[in-house]
Amino acid sequence: MKVSVLQHAPETHLPTRPGDPTPTFRNLDPLMHPFSRARERTRALNAAKMERMFAKPFIDSLEGHIDAVEVLARLPDSLTTIASGSWDGGILVHNLSTREQIVKLPQAHKGKVSGLCFATNERLLSCGVDRNVKLWNVGGDVSDIPLNVFPGKYAFNSIDHHGSDPLFATASNLVQIWDETKSAPISDLTFPTSSETITAVRFNLSESSVLASIGSDRTFTLYDIRTGKAERRVIMQMQSNALAWSPTFPTTVLLASEDHNLYTFDVRHLTTPSHIYKAHVAAVMSCDWSPTGLEFVSGGWDRTVRIWKEGQGHTPEVYHTKRMQRVSSSIFSADARFVITGSDDGNVRIWKAKAHDKLGVITARERAAIEYRESLKQRWKMDAEVNKVTRTRHLPKAVYKAGKLKHTMLEAQRVKDERRRKHTRAGETNPKPERKKVVIAEQT
Amino acid sequence: MDSLIAKADAIAPLAQNRKGKQKSKEKEKKSDSTLQSVAKRTSVPRSLQNLPVPDNVPKHSHIANRKLRTLLHRQSEHNARSKTLLDDADMLLMDEAGKIEVEGEMERTWRTTQADITAAAGQEAARGRKEFKLDGGPYQCRYTRNGRHLAIVGRKGHVATFDWQTGTLHSELQLQETCRDITFLHDHSFYAVAQKKHVFIYDRDGVEIHKLKAHIEPTRLEFLPYHWLLASIGNAGYLKYQDTSTGELLVEHRTKLGACNAMTQNVHNAVIYLGHQNGCVTLWTPNLPHPAVQLLAHLGPVVDVSVDPSNGGRYMATAGRDGTVKVWDCRNWKGAVRDWTVRGTGVTELEWSARGFLATANGGQVNIYTPPTVHTTVNTRAPPALYITHPIPHRPLSSIRFAPFQDVLTIGHAAGLSSILVPGAGQPNYDSTEADPFENKKARREREVRGLLDKVKPDMITLDPEFVGSLAPPSKLTTETTFDGKPSVETPFARLPRLERLKVSGHADETEEMDEDDAADDGEDKAEKKRLKEKRKMRGRNKSLKRYLRRQRANVIDPRTVAIRAKLEKQQEEKRKARLAKEGEDDGAQQPSALDRFRRK
Repeated sequence: MKVSVLQHAPETHLPTRPGDPTPTFRNLDPLMHPFSRARERTRALNAAKMERMFAKPFIDSLEGHIDAVEVLARLPDSLTTIASGSWDGGILVHNLSTREQIVKLPQAHKGKVSGLCFATNERLLSCGVDRNVKLWNVGGDVSDIPLNVFPGKYAFNSIDHHGSDPLFATASNLVQIWDETKSAPISDLTFPTSSETITAVRFNLSESSVLASIGSDRTFTLYDIRTGKAERRVIMQMQSNALAWSPTFPTTVLLASEDHNLYTFDVRHLTTPSHIYKAHVAAVMSCDWSPTGLEFVSGGWDRTVRIWKEGQGHTPEVYHTKRMQRVSSSIFSADARFVITGSDDGNVRIWKAKAHDKLGVITARERAAIEYRESLKQRWKMDAEVNKVTRTRHLPKAVYKAGKLKHTMLEAQRVKDERRRKHTRAGETNPKPERKKVVIAEQT
Repeated sequence: MDSLIAKADAIAPLAQNRKGKQKSKEKEKKSDSTLQSVAKRTSVPRSLQNLPVPDNVPKHSHIANRKLRTLLHRQSEHNARSKTLLDDADMLLMDEAGKIEVEGEMERTWRTTQADITAAAGQEAARGRKEFKLDGGPYQCRYTRNGRHLAIVGRKGHVATFDWQTGTLHSELQLQETCRDITFLHDHSFYAVAQKKHVFIYDRDGVEIHKLKAHIEPTRLEFLPYHWLLASIGNAGYLKYQDTSTGELLVEHRTKLGACNAMTQNVHNAVIYLGHQNGCVTLWTPNLPHPAVQLLAHLGPVVDVSVDPSNGGRYMATAGRDGTVKVWDCRNWKGAVRDWTVRGTGVTELEWSARGFLATANGGQVNIYTPPTVHTTVNTRAPPALYITHPIPHRPLSSIRFAPFQDVLTIGHAAGLSSILVPGAGQPNYDSTEADPFENKKARREREVRGLLDKVKPDMITLDPEFVGSLAPPSKLTTETTFDGKPSVETPFARLPRLERLKVSGHADETEEMDEDDAADDGEDKAEKKRLKEKRKMRGRNKSLKRYLRRQRANVIDPRTVAIRAKLEKQQEEKRKARLAKEGEDDGAQQPSALDRFRRK
């Protein structure tokens, strides 16, 4: 008879030398791990709660403006430098890491600064309602006197610099293309039959001779500076307040609309927006893409900042503070980790793009734990309790109530439409998809 | 000799060799030496390779949402792949289970004595065979989950906890009162003792930490490690759950079945099994005020219950005062799988080991049976084939416990404790994340914190532990409606008519409807009932479809109603035609007429 009795040899199970870690063993037999699913769910729930616990998005507020901040601009090659322009006519250039003001131009324009953008060699272009475009030097020796002044005929609303050439475009009653070396515009671009005020103009980031503008006539217009004319335009239900070209998909453009929504359009098919982003409860005043092209930020008249995932049209991340007023400008930082917003209370605020992000050095173990928590949340997002924790956001009462009211009104409208449809002849009034309602007409 | 060497082609001509080498070099060049040199270090581990998907993966084709469908499909593929990879992980299991092998046909394993086994076992394993001679009545014992520490309690109040492998004594108490049971809490740093009147909790050094006044006259204790619950049952028949992490008394269930002396837990679903004086076995969860399962197991009191942990708690064994042991299949409860009568008198103690060995102790004998025969159904009431038997002269045998991850069985009896070796009983490979016999102080602390963080909510204890995350609960905000046999439509709450909304939310005043439909049930008057029924009949055949149409008779032209009406008319027309045709035929066959000759043929 052969007898063998289980014995654990101490030399394999105990550390060989004092100070060594105790060897660990795994047995993947499911019977060895009772309640593995229930425990994993508990971990996922804890991860979701931890995310909400660590959600401290607000980093700092940069003061210095006397009046509302109207525009923000990011120096293209820098992680830290941003410029802000205000209604009082002042321009400040901030360093985000030290939170200092690099340049102070308190009297840059008379009246509000309506547009800001960086030109090459750390020079800043600004335009204002005082009908001037000014070129400033903000790197090296800084002075209060502009390098150049380009006088115009109309009050300017927006300005954008060409990607590579020394050209810039301004928006007023018409879109004008300027050369940095010439004091008069080199060409005017308008859509024939248009008599509107252009509110924003932006060069495409990869096809740099293509321009897009939005106007007070509820239009979105595409121009080409090689042909020197407007190519196409669409008229929408409501006016747009801001536009931004996607940094990764050259044909995608984002519009922040007066009707509380954001729209992305593929410029090859302007008849319908490719996506609708609904959450704001008042007009969206500004928008900007993350440099990764996967997210974008929007600031609204409802005093909230929202951070959206591209392609997910609901439940964005929402930021608000007690003292922040209407958000008139918002940009992403160049490393996609921060969001900078300027609001009516005259402050420029820095936020984390991910509310629960940990700043500072993260060890490998911590990084692994964070990634594990992320994947747990992802895996258990269907669970009602986990989902509730991740989804719920505290909103200011006014915003919450406005959202409720908006929902009620839209629901009532929908019910009314449905009833009306039911009481008319079949096929006469077919329901119209939401995306088909946005654009009224496309003109070429 | 030379010819032999030539045949073996040991030394080939130099020129040929060179030629061959050149050829092989050219070949190597073709096969890309860089790639080969790199491939060794860049090969992906098997778990990360894109393995072929097994065939029986569910397709989720019934789900309309494409994104969700793709996601679910990818998940199920991943699960199937990782299941196949689990088999590879078996290679990493280091230790082998013990066993007794017979060499001849006439050899019997039960003939081996403990002396034989101890002699054959290794030095380390042989230390498991021990005899503790102690005063103070029949002893109860309990191991920690990692099998390293042992707590013993004598009837007269002698309590001791110790690391039985190194022989380090943690605490020893003389409580001077009747003690009935002992259990460790989450690890060896705390233990609970069921004393004469209450349950007391002591720490590792034997300092009394808590007196649980709510647990009165306890007889048995169980600790549910993943829920941090201490369950006790007593002479009054109340099952009480105390949360040991927060200290609150979670719930107490009145069993209504009197004093209870048999209690065990199913480690896989944390359900508490109780054996009662009237022969019932009941299964309890904290969220149900009544037993989840109640079963008449024995004629006469149940003296012990045990659940087999080796196959997910599928089998349960019960012992009765009537001297029988029964093995039950917990999936269907259709009678006992196997039952037999034990020899001797008195209380039979039962315990399953981690690998499914069933130990019974009664009279002066400990018998151990092995898995396949214990679970197989036979027609006779013969006991299963005996694996090992061991006589103990000190009656009564009051408790038996297998040591986790060891081939050791500890028996508590009147004169102390004895532990015997049972080759093959213990799970050979432990998992350090769950229970590690060799863990150090730091690992123990770490595990305690992790255990607290991963504490499962007590209301998630159910008979099926895999329900978590498996089923989407039906949404409260939709109602299922069907229109004339079409597949049911889920209408969101917001789009329901007002009355339906009220019905769903439970605020609808349904008295009126009751009058119409169910008045007959309410009213005692049968005549009235009959009259109502007749009246309803008089109206004509009342089909549900017609009722639906009658409701839709408002001045609304709904395409669906129109379609239904058309369909109904068509059906009626067809029916009428069929009836006419049938009648015509019948008439023709039954009554031949003189005018038949004029009928067109």
